[in-house]
Amino acid sequence: MINEEITNFELEVLELLKNVMDPEIEVNIVDLGLIYELKYDGDKTIDIDLTFSTPSCPLGDTIVSGIKETIKKKYPDFTTNVVVVFDPPWNTEMVSEDGRRMLGM
Amino acid sequence: MNGLSSNNAPHPSVVKPHFIFGSLALLVLSVMIILADTTLLGPYFDGKMIAITHMAVLGWATMIVFGALYQLIPVVFETSLFSEKLAKFTFWMAGLGVLLLTYAFWITDYTGLLPNAALFMFVSLLLFVVNVILSYKDSKKKNISSRFVITAVGWLSVTELIGTLIAFNFKYNFFTEAHLHYLKIHASIGLIGWFLMLIIGVGSVLMPMFMVSHQLDDKKLVRSYYFINMGLLAMAVNWLFIHFEKITPIFWLSIVTGIYFFISYVYDSYKKRIRKVLDIGMKHTMISVLSIFLPVIISLIIFFGRGMDSMLLLRTTSLYGFTIIFGLITTIILGQTYKTLPFIIWLEKYQALVGKTKTPMPRELYSEKIADLQLLIYLFFIVFMIMGLLLDQIWLVRIGSYLLLTVAVLYNINVFKIIFHQIKKNYSHD
Repeated sequence: MINEEITNFELEVLELLKNVMDPEIEVNIVDLGLIYELKYDGDKTIDIDLTFSTPSCPLGDTIVSGIKETIKKKYPDFTTNVVVVFDPPWNTEMVSEDGRRMLGM
Repeated sequence: MNGLSSNNAPHPSVVKPHFIFGSLALLVLSVMIILADTTLLGPYFDGKMIAITHMAVLGWATMIVFGALYQLIPVVFETSLFSEKLAKFTFWMAGLGVLLLTYAFWITDYTGLLPNAALFMFVSLLLFVVNVILSYKDSKKKNISSRFVITAVGWLSVTELIGTLIAFNFKYNFFTEAHLHYLKIHASIGLIGWFLMLIIGVGSVLMPMFMVSHQLDDKKLVRSYYFINMGLLAMAVNWLFIHFEKITPIFWLSIVTGIYFFISYVYDSYKKRIRKVLDIGMKHTMISVLSIFLPVIISLIIFFGRGMDSMLLLRTTSLYGFTIIFGLITTIILGQTYKTLPFIIWLEKYQALVGKTKTPMPRELYSEKIADLQLLIYLFFIVFMIMGLLLDQIWLVRIGSYLLLTVAVLYNINVFKIIFHQIKKNYSHD
């Protein structure tokens, strides 16, 4: 796979992850800016650096399994690794324009 | 995955019974208020008034708080609850204890049933305290919010100890001062030490989380913690051992200063929120926080109104308790039920389905129309009761009582709708 194809696939997965919602805030995790990094190795592995709006987020496990299940549903042979990071801490600047609209900002 | 809490969440069977008991207790409470009728305009230390107060603070508020706190310990302490079995045992003991205690007050059986019921209640609350303290011991997160919670639990023990001693004094008569003196200490520590401290501790975590606000000044919470605790501790020691009444306003000022810092923290959180629209749960919560001003103003009237008509002073004292129990505590519990209970049931029913199929949002588990109506009627209830107590008008109090019954019915409809929620076919596995 050439670099451009990898980037296009990563964007496709990001778009797919807009289906994973934070059920409390009711905004998807991509527009909330919770995904710090998404890397595709060009074969069958996707690595994601994820954060939460608060370290004690009670929905942490649910969001992680939501990501894995969403990818697995479309790409059953793929492996998804999710690493939860808190550095840098999430802040409101990370919310996308669409996310801001959804939040009524 | 450090910091994640849903792994630590207790089984729903620990939490749900508390919400069921608490909701039904609100219903019973509203019926008790209707039955008490003219007693509500009499002295606050009447048996029926004390029965109503205990059904409100223990049967309704504390039961829901216990359930919510078991769920929130992983969020506030970042650890799991020490023992779920102990929590379940405590629920049955506390439930029976509340019923016995309230009945003893209602029928004014102060020397037979009351001491036994009080002892039963004391042991059950002590079991809760032990469970929370042992959970806190394993906590990875000992910050200002968790310190508020654990201190509130400490004050709960003191409240219960004094309450039990009062109950035993009816039979064995060993107090050096009048009952009302100890009742004042019991109520002050219970309402400020237990409820207010807990509301600040849990609220300081949940409010910014629900409104999505960041970069808040924790120093305000630290100041709030020390001002409230120093004031309350000094007030309790003075009332118990020194009896220098003239110094009380200084301690009162310390507590009010602490409350100011908390309100300022909530205001910052409100201003910095990115979630602009307040849902029904947060509307209740904001009204509750604002209502803290009411008891502060009323306590000023009580301080400086020593010369006023004695019946008016008694009703003003009842009003003071009413604004704390219903203005602050009940409002926030009504609201936070809509934030915590749907979430608990949602996790139970849909956690395994996330990503596999479309799932509803937690707020779709209850009727928002009913919740909106409930809040509106509740505000009318508060207004009618305050006016009735101030103006000594039983017809206003009666209307208020029936409004509360309506609120309790609407609240129960929503609570049971959430608890008995079933996964719909279109949400099950594809």
